[in-house]
Amino acid sequence: MTYELLVPIFIMSSALIAIGLYAVMSKKNILKIILAADIVETGVNILIVAMGYLPGGTAPIENGNYPLYVDPVPQALVLTAIVIGVSVTALALAVAMGYYRKTGTIELDKEGVMKW
Amino acid sequence: MRKAIAIIISVAVFVILAYFFVTSSAPINYTTGGDYVNPINDHQANQSVPQQYLNDSRKDTGSQNVVTAIVVEYRGFDTLGEVTVLFTAATGLAILLGEYKRRIEKAVEPNFVTQVATVIILPFIVIVGAYIFIHGHLTPGGGFPGGAIIASGFLLLLLVETNRGLPEKKLSITESLAGMSYALIGLLGLVLANEFLENYLPTGIFGTVFSAGIIPLIYIAIGFKVGSELGGILHNIKGVHEE
Amino acid sequence: MVSLPPVLLIAFPLFFAFLAPLINMVSKKAVKYYTMAVLLLNTAISLIIFLNVLEHGVIYEELSGFYPPVGILLSVGYLGAILALLINALAPIVYLSYFGDAENSVKFSMIYMLVTASSTGIVITGDLFNMFVFFEITAVGSYGLVASMRTKKAYEGAFKYIVLGTIGSSFILLGIATIYGYLKTLNFYDIAARINTMPESARLMSFIFLIIGIGVEAELFPLNGWVPDAYEGASNRVAAFFSLGPSKAGIYAIARLLFTLVPLVKGFNLAMLLGLLTLVIGELAALRQKDPKRMLAYSSIGQMGLILVAFSMHSALAFTAAIFLMVSHALAKSLLFLGTRGYKEGVLRNPWVAGPIFIGVLSIIGMPPFPGFWGKWYLLVNMAQRGFWAVILLIIFAAIVEGVYYARFLHRGTEGEESKVLTRSEIAAITILALILVLVGMFPQYLYTPAVKAAAALMGGGP
Repeated sequence: MTYELLVPIFIMSSALIAIGLYAVMSKKNILKIILAADIVETGVNILIVAMGYLPGGTAPIENGNYPLYVDPVPQALVLTAIVIGVSVTALALAVAMGYYRKTGTIELDKEGVMKW
Repeated sequence: MRKAIAIIISVAVFVILAYFFVTSSAPINYTTGGDYVNPINDHQANQSVPQQYLNDSRKDTGSQNVVTAIVVEYRGFDTLGEVTVLFTAATGLAILLGEYKRRIEKAVEPNFVTQVATVIILPFIVIVGAYIFIHGHLTPGGGFPGGAIIASGFLLLLLVETNRGLPEKKLSITESLAGMSYALIGLLGLVLANEFLENYLPTGIFGTVFSAGIIPLIYIAIGFKVGSELGGILHNIKGVHEE
Repeated sequence: MVSLPPVLLIAFPLFFAFLAPLINMVSKKAVKYYTMAVLLLNTAISLIIFLNVLEHGVIYEELSGFYPPVGILLSVGYLGAILALLINALAPIVYLSYFGDAENSVKFSMIYMLVTASSTGIVITGDLFNMFVFFEITAVGSYGLVASMRTKKAYEGAFKYIVLGTIGSSFILLGIATIYGYLKTLNFYDIAARINTMPESARLMSFIFLIIGIGVEAELFPLNGWVPDAYEGASNRVAAFFSLGPSKAGIYAIARLLFTLVPLVKGFNLAMLLGLLTLVIGELAALRQKDPKRMLAYSSIGQMGLILVAFSMHSALAFTAAIFLMVSHALAKSLLFLGTRGYKEGVLRNPWVAGPIFIGVLSIIGMPPFPGFWGKWYLLVNMAQRGFWAVILLIIFAAIVEGVYYARFLHRGTEGEESKVLTRSEIAAITILALILVLVGMFPQYLYTPAVKAAAALMGGGP
């Protein structure tokens, strides 16, 4: 069992991931799908930061008089993950713009991204 | 039908994830006990990885901010890759939108308040961004937020100057030079010390601006690179000819 | 012999890719020669590293000067060295096919260098999160390359790829976070040494998270919906590049996870199941296709499934087979994608095009004496020894399906009047690829020796 303060955070971030997945699978509007993929990413990032929490810990910047810091590694990983997410979102928006210029719509054909 | 499948899958994912993470027995502390032996060279560390970061970063890197020490020094190779991801995305975006440039008709006359305010606050935005990436080893922040703040200044400019873009060529040169200096700082480590991205500068006095060896240099390069890259992305999305 | 640090394989192309826009400002014509020079430099470095690994065993490099797991470790094992050499030696050959074009975008060349470097990074890294970062560079570069044709198909394929790739990378992050949460480390060796202290449920979950994420890139069954669309939307040369770089790196990552990270019996069974599904569904879907590019894309999916089946057999001989299949697939598929640009009736009337394409097809369907034959032979021998008769029947069934649609494909090309589509540089590229296929097939022992060593290392849980 994890530290009970983290339980709502884990449930919330799992819910964000699930909501994002639902929207990715069911929507046909390109912008909505991009937003949904971003929601999944956000959920994962929150989850990772929460996993590094220590009861009573503080931000890992040495100030000499506080002995207990939270785990710094998840924060470093999430920093990287956020920048990667921004890059992918920018590229996805560019593809959406191109798709709109070619077809005059931002709706995908019938099946959305689920078509195999 | 598609919606039903989507609901079933996402509910299943939610239940599995929530159950797994809430009941997981992952340790809440980061100690691994006294018997921890580094498996690679039998180095008797007795400390888990995060403990070593927290205890040794002052001695190893001279950086006050431990997250910065990890991002730029301990796991600096990841950050070089991260910068490359952004660079790749900006390049791909330029391929997609580059040739579609057209002169945008003045759709909306920019707000008078925005125009005047931009002139006043733009220098401060740039200064704040620069402050943040220069002090990355002392305070929260660093090259990525600093560069993003500078790019927000570019965004203001694009909003005010409705029929002009940014100086694309200058941004591209800045981006190239900043990226090359990052790679060069790393490669110099192979020559001056033993390893790629190894620190070869003195770490200075702990907690001052001129400390922490190559960390501020790398963060300055990243700040310039991120600022000019995001500026280029905004410019390409707006899609205006260079004057 | 000189020894070089493996980080140069990544640092040099990154540096030169950052430099490329400045070169472009000086002279637009110089860019393609410049890119070629950078790719050839990388080929030379990877050859030296390959020879070093053969001589002295695994090369470790502790980046930033901190001993792992504190710093990032690069570890070039036998399999990593073979794949690094494969990717870096074939990248300039595929790039050669661009030389005939009048227009050659500098941005395209930059992404080409970056994706080559990052695919190499995936196979030589010894750190889980570092592997994730390289995956993302490969993926982001691939999205751009797919969309660069700027047709409706290209945008659709790229968009599907982006969405699936984003979801996949989120799952990779979940897997990394799970492993980190229990073990507080990201280094492969450290994880492998202490993975048994994790409860079995957590190990299985992290394996599932990681295989979902990496499966997108490695074209595994339910996650490969993007493959046919992206390959169809992308230009033939980009598709050729995909089949040698990103997909190989993805399947390497899965093999590495299977053996060093989460060695679970359940994991092997799951991978075997996924591989068989991918194989059969891919081949059957390929049979239905009219468009040659889409057919090749589905056939690619089938091949990746077969490679995964070979890895999940978990025996030295099957690994050797998997390595042969990977080499065969990289060479033959990039050859076929390059050779079928504008494929229509009469293309194969030209012997300079027909020869290499015949060789490529023969290697893919597993005819002697090409590397594809050796791969399938070793695999079937190993399965027969261990009594996997049902699996053998499935593989033979898939091979027959493969033979049928490739025969139809070749037949179509030989009908009618001769037509010329390919440029001279493209013909040069496919001829070189076919020559390499013949050489590897005639002298399999030069690949067999390092492949056996790689298999032994993997069986021991090493890189």
